[in-house]
Order: sequence, then C-alpha cells, then structure tokens
Amino acid sequence: MSRLEIYSPEGLRLDGRRWNELRRFECSINTHSHASDGSSYLEQGNNKVITLVKGPKEPTLRSQMDTEKAILKISVNITQFSKFERSKSSHKNERRVLEMQTALIRTFEKNVMLNIYPRTLIDIEVHVLQQDGGIMGSLINGITLALIDAGIAMYDYISGVSIGLYDTTPLLDVNSLEENAMSSVTLGVVGKSEKLSLLLVEDKIPLDRLETVLAIGIAGAHRVRDLMDEELRKHAEKRVANASSK
Amino acid sequence: MSVSAVAPRRKRLSEGLTVTQKVFVRSRNGGATKIVREHYLRSDIPCLSRSCTKCQDIVVPDAQNNLPKFVLSESPQVLPKPIGKHYVVLDTNIVLQAIDLLENPDCFFDVIVPQIVLDEVRNRSYPVYTRLRTLCRDSDDKKRFVVFHNEFSENTFVERKKDETINDRNDRAIRKTCKWYANHLKEYGISVILVTNDRLNRNAATSDDDIITKSLFQYVDLLPNSNEIKDLIPNLEAANEANTKEEDKEDISEFNFSEYYPTARIMGGLKNGVLYQGNIQISEYNFLEGSVSIPGFSKPVLIVGEKNLNRAFNGDQVVIELLPQTEWKAPSTIALDSEHFNVNDNPDAQDEDEPSNATSIISDTQRRLLAKDAIQAQKAKKVQPTARVVAIPRRSWRQYVGQIAPNSVDLQTGGTQNVFVILMDKCLPKIRIRTRRAKELLDKRIVISVDSWPTTHKYPLGHFVRDLGGIETAQAETEALLLEHDVEYRPFSKKVLECLPAEGHEWKAPEVLTDPVEIAKDPLLVRRKDLRDKLICSIDPPGCVDIDDALHAKRLPNGNWEVGVHIADVTHFVKPGTALDAEGASRGTSVYLVDKRIDMLPMLLGTDLCSLKPYVDRFAFSVLWELDENADIVNVDFTKSVIKSREAFSYEQAQLRIDDASQTDDLTQGMRALLQLSIKLKQKRLDAGALNLASPEVKVHMDSETSDPGEVEIKKLLATNSLVEEFMLLANISVARKIYDAFPQTAMLRRHAAPPSTNFELLNEMLHQRKNMSISLESSKALADSLDRCEDPKDPYFNTLVRIMSTRCMMAAQYFYSGAYSYPDFKHYGLAVDIYTHFTSPIRRFCDVVAHRQLAGAIGYEPLDLSHRDKNKMDMICRNINRKHRNAQFAGRASIEYYVGQVMRNNESTETGYVIKVFNNGIVVLVPKFGVEGLIRLENLTNDSNGAHFDEVEFKLTFTQKDSGKERVIYVFDKVEVQVKSVLDPVTSKRKAELLLK
Ligand SMILES: [Zn+2]
Repeated sequence: MSRLEIYSPEGLRLDGRRWNELRRFECSINTHSHASDGSSYLEQGNNKVITLVKGPKEPTLRSQMDTEKAILKISVNITQFSKFERSKSSHKNERRVLEMQTALIRTFEKNVMLNIYPRTLIDIEVHVLQQDGGIMGSLINGITLALIDAGIAMYDYISGVSIGLYDTTPLLDVNSLEENAMSSVTLGVVGKSEKLSLLLVEDKIPLDRLETVLAIGIAGAHRVRDLMDEELRKHAEKRVANASSK
Repeated sequence: MSVSAVAPRRKRLSEGLTVTQKVFVRSRNGGATKIVREHYLRSDIPCLSRSCTKCQDIVVPDAQNNLPKFVLSESPQVLPKPIGKHYVVLDTNIVLQAIDLLENPDCFFDVIVPQIVLDEVRNRSYPVYTRLRTLCRDSDDKKRFVVFHNEFSENTFVERKKDETINDRNDRAIRKTCKWYANHLKEYGISVILVTNDRLNRNAATSDDDIITKSLFQYVDLLPNSNEIKDLIPNLEAANEANTKEEDKEDISEFNFSEYYPTARIMGGLKNGVLYQGNIQISEYNFLEGSVSIPGFSKPVLIVGEKNLNRAFNGDQVVIELLPQTEWKAPSTIALDSEHFNVNDNPDAQDEDEPSNATSIISDTQRRLLAKDAIQAQKAKKVQPTARVVAIPRRSWRQYVGQIAPNSVDLQTGGTQNVFVILMDKCLPKIRIRTRRAKELLDKRIVISVDSWPTTHKYPLGHFVRDLGGIETAQAETEALLLEHDVEYRPFSKKVLECLPAEGHEWKAPEVLTDPVEIAKDPLLVRRKDLRDKLICSIDPPGCVDIDDALHAKRLPNGNWEVGVHIADVTHFVKPGTALDAEGASRGTSVYLVDKRIDMLPMLLGTDLCSLKPYVDRFAFSVLWELDENADIVNVDFTKSVIKSREAFSYEQAQLRIDDASQTDDLTQGMRALLQLSIKLKQKRLDAGALNLASPEVKVHMDSETSDPGEVEIKKLLATNSLVEEFMLLANISVARKIYDAFPQTAMLRRHAAPPSTNFELLNEMLHQRKNMSISLESSKALADSLDRCEDPKDPYFNTLVRIMSTRCMMAAQYFYSGAYSYPDFKHYGLAVDIYTHFTSPIRRFCDVVAHRQLAGAIGYEPLDLSHRDKNKMDMICRNINRKHRNAQFAGRASIEYYVGQVMRNNESTETGYVIKVFNNGIVVLVPKFGVEGLIRLENLTNDSNGAHFDEVEFKLTFTQKDSGKERVIYVFDKVEVQVKSVLDPVTSKRKAELLLK
C-alpha cells in the first residue's frame, strides 16, 4: 500500500511541503452574522469548516441549565460530501463523531469563562464541508475564531494542529494521505504558552519520540495562533473603519 | 464582505512558496472519482551541481538539520564537440529498460533523475524504483545520481493543457526540466543531454525546445568506451531503431503468440469472474506445463503448451481464461526440459534460406507427446481444468545466469550476432541475445537480463550483462550459485561501514561499568550486569570465528544450578533505522557455502567485536536460569551483560576435557554439570514428542593448500553438540515466552506446523507393503515413537533412511509475528514446544536481532523501535527472512552438490545405495556416502524396455538385466550396489551424478 514517498530522501513530502511547514491557512470571521451570534469560515489545506456559535442564551430544556456556569454544547456535522467518495451514512451518531464532540468540549471547557454566564447555554455547531486530514485541529481553530466573534470571554486562543511521525521525522500538519500512512498526534495549544488543552494520540507513538513531536507541534500551533490573530486584527480594523466612517 | 472572484490557480503563500491544486480522476472498481490534492511549489529546490554558486544560498536543512549534498561534479565527462562537459537527464523508458546499464560503473556519471520519472518508474516497477533510489543514495562520489524534484520547483512545474494526455504532459515536464538545467548551467559550460528511447519526445525536444537529446544507443555510441558498453544495451525492438537499416528484418515469422488482452477487458473479466489471476508455477519436470492455484478450485488449473503459456515465465503474475471442458487433461507424466528441447533452433530462425524443418520436427514430437498424455489422462480420469494465459500483469523477470548454447554460435562470422543463452533454471526458456563477443563467451557462465518477448518471437529477447568466468571454475560457479539464489554477496557499502564503531578493532568494553566517562558515552551502561567473574566458555565447530554463544554453570548454595547462556550483543552495535540495520534486514541471514561464507553483518562485528572470543571482555545478552537437579526451571532472568570467556573449545576438545578425569578445575566441573543437565533436558524433550529427523548431510573436506575438494564425509555428532543445542533451545523457548508476554501482537516467533497426513500417504504405503511397518501421525510423540520402531535388524542404516524420507514429508518451519496466528498455531511440531523463537545467533540471523531488541524492550533496557511494534513492518520482515532463509539453505545445498560432483569427477566408484522410489520408467537411488540421489532410467537397466513390468501396488519393477540377461526384481527400500560417476551435461554444462546399477 504505502508505496508512496511519504517523505523523500530530499526532504520533501507528498504535496511538496517540508517537514515543518503548515498547509495553506485562511480564515475569516463573522461570515454568517444573521444565523448566529458568532461565526467563522476556515480553510486549512483542503479542510473547509464553517462554525456557528449561538449564545450565551437561555436553554430550552431545564436539564441544560446550571446555576453556577454556562453549559457548552458542541455538535459536529460531517457532511456526506466531505470526502472524495460520497458516504452513505450521515455520520450523525457515529462513535467517532461523538468522541470528537466530547474531546472538543473538554478542550474548551477550561478555557471559556463559563462561570460568568450562569444559567445559559453556549451552542456550537461545526459543519465540515470538506476534509483532508488533521480535521480535529481545524475544528479547534474554527471554534476558537467563532467564539471570539461571538464575544464570549476566553482566557486565550486555542490553536490546533496534527503532527505525524514518519520513522523518526515528525511531519507538521498532516494531510489525509499522510494521516493514513502513519501514527499522528493532535494538539490543542493554549495561546503562546506550552500548555496543552488537548493531546490526542492516534495509534502508537514511541515515548522517546513524543518530545520532538510535541516541540514541532507547539511551534506549529503558535504559528496558527499568529495567523488567526492577524486575521482578527484585520477584521477589527475594518469594522472600526466602517463604524467611524458612518 | 466582498466576495472574491474565482480562486486563483496559484496562490502565493509566503516568500518562495505557492500552492496550487492538482486535480485528477481515479478510476477504481469501474467508478471514477475526482481527486483534488494540494500541491505546493517552491523556490528552494537546488540543482545540486557543485559548480553552481546560485543554489548554495537557497537550500534549507531537513528535519535532522542536514543540508542537501551537492553531488554533480564540476568537471563531468567530456563528449566530442559540440557537447563537451555534460550531465544526463533520464527519461522513464531508459530507467525501466536499462537499469543494469545505469548501474554499470563504467558509464552514466552525473545523472539527473527528474521526480516525474521517479514517480513513473515507481508506478511501473517497484523493484526498479528501489534500485534507482539505491543508486541515488550510494553513488555520491563515483556515479553521482541525483533526484531533481521538478514537480515541486516553481521553475519547472508545468500545468496540464487542455486535451493534453497525461503522458504528453509528463514528457513536457521532463523537457522543461532539461531546459531549466541547460539555462541554469550555461554559465558554467556544462550542457545537458536528454536520453530517451521515445522518438516523439526526442522530436519535440529538438524542434520546440532546442534541447540536446539522444536515444540510448546514440548516447552510448558517443562514449569513449562505447565498444565495451554496446553489448549491454537492452535488446528491444524499439531500442534497435538506430540500426533498423541493418539486416534486422526478422519480424516476418510464421510463429505468433496471441496478443495480451487490453487492460479494460482484463479489469472487466476479473470483475465478472470469467478471467482469473494468480501466480504461475512451471512444472519442475516439464517446462511446457504450468499451473496456477486459484481460490475456489480444488485443484490447480493446468496450462499446457507454449501457445497457452503465452510467454509466461515461472513465477509471473498472470491472468488466465479457462479452456472448454473437452480440452481438460491430467498433469503430464513425461519429463521434458527446455535444455534438451528444440536444441536445433536457429537464433536467426527467420532467415529465408534456412528451411524451418527444425521447427516442424519439434512440433511433431511435441504433438506426439501431448497425444500420449491425453490418452493417459483419459485412462486415469484424473483430468484437471486447463486454461490459457491472456495477460501478464507482473513479470518476475530478474537477472539470470546461463551460458551460450554452443550450437547457436556462428564461429565463422565475427561481429554482432544472435545467440541463445540456456539458463541454469530449467523451468525457463532459452533467451536470445545479440552480442559481438559470442565466441569469447563460449564456455563461460554469463549473467543476462530479459528485456522483452514480442508476440512474433519464439524466444524472449535479452541482453548480456556480465561474464562470471569459465564453466566449472570455482569462482564462477560460486557466483552463479549466489546470483541464482538471490543472495546479496557484494561487499558492504560505504554507508553501511560508516555505521560501525569508529575505533574498529581497537574497540574495547569498558573496564569499570560505573566509570562516569564511559556512562556519558553510553548511558545504558548502568543497566548492564558485570558477569566477568563467571567461568564462561564457548563450544563450537572447529575453526569457528563468529562465536554467537557461550555458557556457564555454577552450583548454588541451595544445591541447584545457576546456568547462563550468553549471546553476542549484536544490537548494541546494530541500531534500528541505520544503514547497517537495513542491510542486515535485507540480507536476513549469513549464507554458508563449502568454500565461502557470505556474512549478514560486516566482518568487524561478526568475527571480532560481537564474537564472544576467549580472554577478552565482550558485551552479551544473557539468559540466566536457576535449574534444579532434574533440569526444571526454578527461575529465569534476562540481562545485558559484560562477560569474559575463559576458553573457546571445539566440540571434540570439549568432549576430551569432560572425559579427562584428571581435570577437576571449576570450569571443567561446570561443563560436566552442563552435560548432565543437557542429557536430562534432551530426555524431557524426547518424552514430550520432539522429533529426531535426519537429512543426508555431508561435508566436503577442502585441501588446505590447493583448496581443491578432497573427500566427502558424513557429519558426525558428539555429545557436546547436543550439550550446546539443548541450552540454545532452552534459551530460545524462554525468550519466546518473555517477548510474547511483552508484545502479544508483534513478537518475533518461529513455528512449525504439523504435517498433513496426505504427505505421509505414499511413504506409509511403501512401509506397510514392504516392511509391515507404519508411521503414526496422531501426534509428534506418536510419530517419534513410530520412527523409533522402524528398525531393520539386518541393516542399521534403514532407520536413518526412513528418517530422511520422513523429513521430506514434513512442513517447513517459518518465522512469523505473533499477531499473525492464534496461540495454538504457534506450536513447533518438530521440537514439541508450544512457542519458540530464534535468539541465539544474532550474528548470522536477522530474526535473532529482532528478538534481541524485543527482549531488550521487554526487560526495560531500552525502548523498542517502532518498526518492531508495527504489524505491517513485522510482516515485511518475516516474509523477507523466510525467503532469504530458504534461499540460503538451497544455496548451501547446491554448493555441496557442486563440490560433491567435483570430488566424484576424480574418483569413479562403486557404492551402496538404497532404492527410494520406483517408477514405471526407472528407479531413484540414494547414495548415503555422497548424499546424492539419481534416477536410473529403464533404458539403462535393460535392453528390453517393453518387457519390463511395473507393479504399482508392490512398488516392484521387474526387468531383464542388461549384461547377464537374467531377470531382476527391484523393490523400494532395496539395498543395491551402484556405480557412481559424475558427468557434465554438454548442453547445460551442469554436472550431474550418474548412477548405474551393478
Ligand atoms: Zn544551481
């Protein structure tokens, strides 16, 4: 099967990147201002993700209420056309998707200041339009952007990226071909710190290699944070300019 | 929000990096899927020429922080004007057709392989891709091959035009690469030549792009040493286009194979179930008969006759179509080998003035044989389905060893001529090659490569690769044997030798294990145990230099014995992922020939640093048991250690020392204890049902001065042989349990399946009929006991004979990883244990290397490398070492066979033999003294073949004896006197033992 040169002796990957290069990263916020309180559209390589945040709002069900803090709800919708071959099922209650949702809630729970919005619900919907590997990282980035757009208080950015390990070489931001060929790790990094809010290990990674994998992963996540920050500041400037010209 | 226009086709990301999308359509299972992938283009891809000053500034380091090496020479080979100094750019067809030539050390220097070519080669032939990659990796200073990633360089990437085929686009990409290189290197006075056998690509290159381009033939013609190289050019109709004006109009032939089906038809056929795919196995006895095993068919499908075989080689992957039931038949009972068949065919068979009577005679013989067969089949009603080959998706072609058929050479004419090469492997057809040196190469073993087999040619076309030396010269025969068994025997490459310790033979184990300086160098040292106080010795065959194992035994205060088996710590030096590791993994095993040893690991390790030589400190991996008086295990421990062997004994010396009652030192006492314990271990093993099988093993003594083979001797066994063997078995079993415990999915193990009862059917019938004995197959214990009962009081050898014949009915043992089978199938039938591995010979077997690493991981010495924890990688390792192990055994046997032939050549003699098979047209006799067996044909037994009578039930052949005229009856198992002589077959130049009944 893996008769591809995943990482050539000349140091190039299948798509022409080097080991420590991110894929194309483009994002924008406030893309669906009518449908939600905060929204974002993100392209990370060929991953395309729309995120909508509704809330903080009053929950419709009493069970979704906590008198101490807000409840965080995340639902991931992986569209049937998101891969090359159209899938037959809607992925809705697949174990894998449920696990992703749980992992995402855990990632953001500690970072969103839920305690300042008691008795409310923060409802996040993520729509995966297209996927090409390392999707968890893209979901994290999309949610971070949408939460900021919604004006929900957070301690810091959380940026996500997946890193594969090919023999002894860590490869940053894996695409689907690479992801299928090796074990990979997904990180959620808090701001510019080395704090991890998510560490997801698919398959096995030798313990003695984990450190180099984490090092390049954290550096990559910081770069993603900067790209998101740049976009946000640009957006803010535009809004300020619009407001003052009125 | 502004809506951006249609996304640009290329998007600039940062300085020197742009991204585009690669769109293509993949068809699979009849459906088509559009695939979109990202494709990054960059400006930091260097030309890798040493003379270039521009690219030095753009390069970036890789993950290991190494910068790319600039390999291409600043003063490359100079060709006649106007070319001058030049680099070569290769096209895909050249790599696929002439990889041998590219590997030749005398031509093709400073070669650029465009990435697109590498990709195309990989899709077409993975083995050739591997060879090309090796060439790029290892050719730093001599050949200088580089890969240029033209697809990722923004200077050379080309987009597919509308209506352009993918092949045209790729050709254009290659031309763009040439053009870029030509411009880039112009200022340094280096030109670039595109070598391709694709005429359209050449035309396009000269007309549109002004690139210098040559066909392979034209390029070789320009070289200063072109005369030596020309013979090595592959024999392809396309490659010969340069000299089409010549006499080569030989395609008009009445002989025509059918064309293969087009891919679409095959895909459809396989899907609909009208075509089948499988690997073809050509019969060992009849080269015009092949069989393909297909799931769902109880018997293999037969493919009979050259038209139906349709150019298939033994081992090819073929697609077949069944023939109508009326054409089904039984497997042939007639022996037919390619060597003696069609001997009179003319290599230029299509000459007009040569009447093709040879061919017609042959077809008649062939037809008669087939008819005979058909009748027999009908009588026996053993029909099998037959089929014909309609396509060959994958060829098994490799390099072959053979010799020129003398009668195909025209001795009068000099110059280039077509000749036949007869291959050593008798399942393969002869190959037609063109050479200028036919006369010179007669009586030589030569290596050839097969290039093509067009439908219009009766025989495949090939080309000469190299000359190994004269037939029956030891060197040529040894090399031929190694090549035929796919044994890698070339010296270790520089990259591999660089992995060895820099100190070389000066390397020493640290004096004190707690020395902080040493620990700084090797932090694992603290986990090593110092066992230098133990009285350890090694016992091996005389003259052994790679000492894998050593032992010791010591009485404990509680009366039990501490026994240690210490194995060379090879994995201290062979670290996973290094070039040395890759080489060892690929060789898989050392190969022992009569006059030569081909090492798995470099000499420095095998015979010095790892070898547990006496009187010096060596690193070892030790298994330490506490055994009670009955040799039952009380406790077992594994540790890496430092040891100092006190003495290296040969089996004989060890035996003498143990038997010498005057020796009472501790070392000798320990050895005696080991011997006593080993006897108990052996008894326990035999009680559990371990088999004691035999093979007719002989040993050839070499004259130490002339290194000519002297005499043949049957191997002797001493008690000390089994002393060592028992403890090695015990160590292997203990280690197997430990690593299986630690790595339940990927532990490296060895299994031996129980033989299916059908294997023993014939032998049992013969034993029952002739001796009223039988072999029981209920369990290995029952088998062992029944073998013990097969005694003939008058002939002590009879028991050994039965054991030899039983060995042939057994299954072969195999390496596997534990995830591949369920626990009950781990069983080693021959040894009667539930789990087993190989741990004790890491110097000469790669399985043991893996087992060492896994054991080191299991005891927490160092973490186990990922490659030994991954099922897929373990599967690849197991497949390879199983194959290499088998090849090594065959090579070893072939070597003995060759030397036995040489010994017999000098002394024709009369020996005792045993009849082991009786056919209706002859008997097979085994001669224990030489370990040879041979068929004595009926024609050589009697003058009256028709008067002979074969009784299938009683395994009896009755005939009138040749000289005396008396009637003689031969039964299976009869002891007979035979005259043994060795004859050289004039056609194959292979030596065979010829036996004649006295
Ligand atoms: Zn350059």
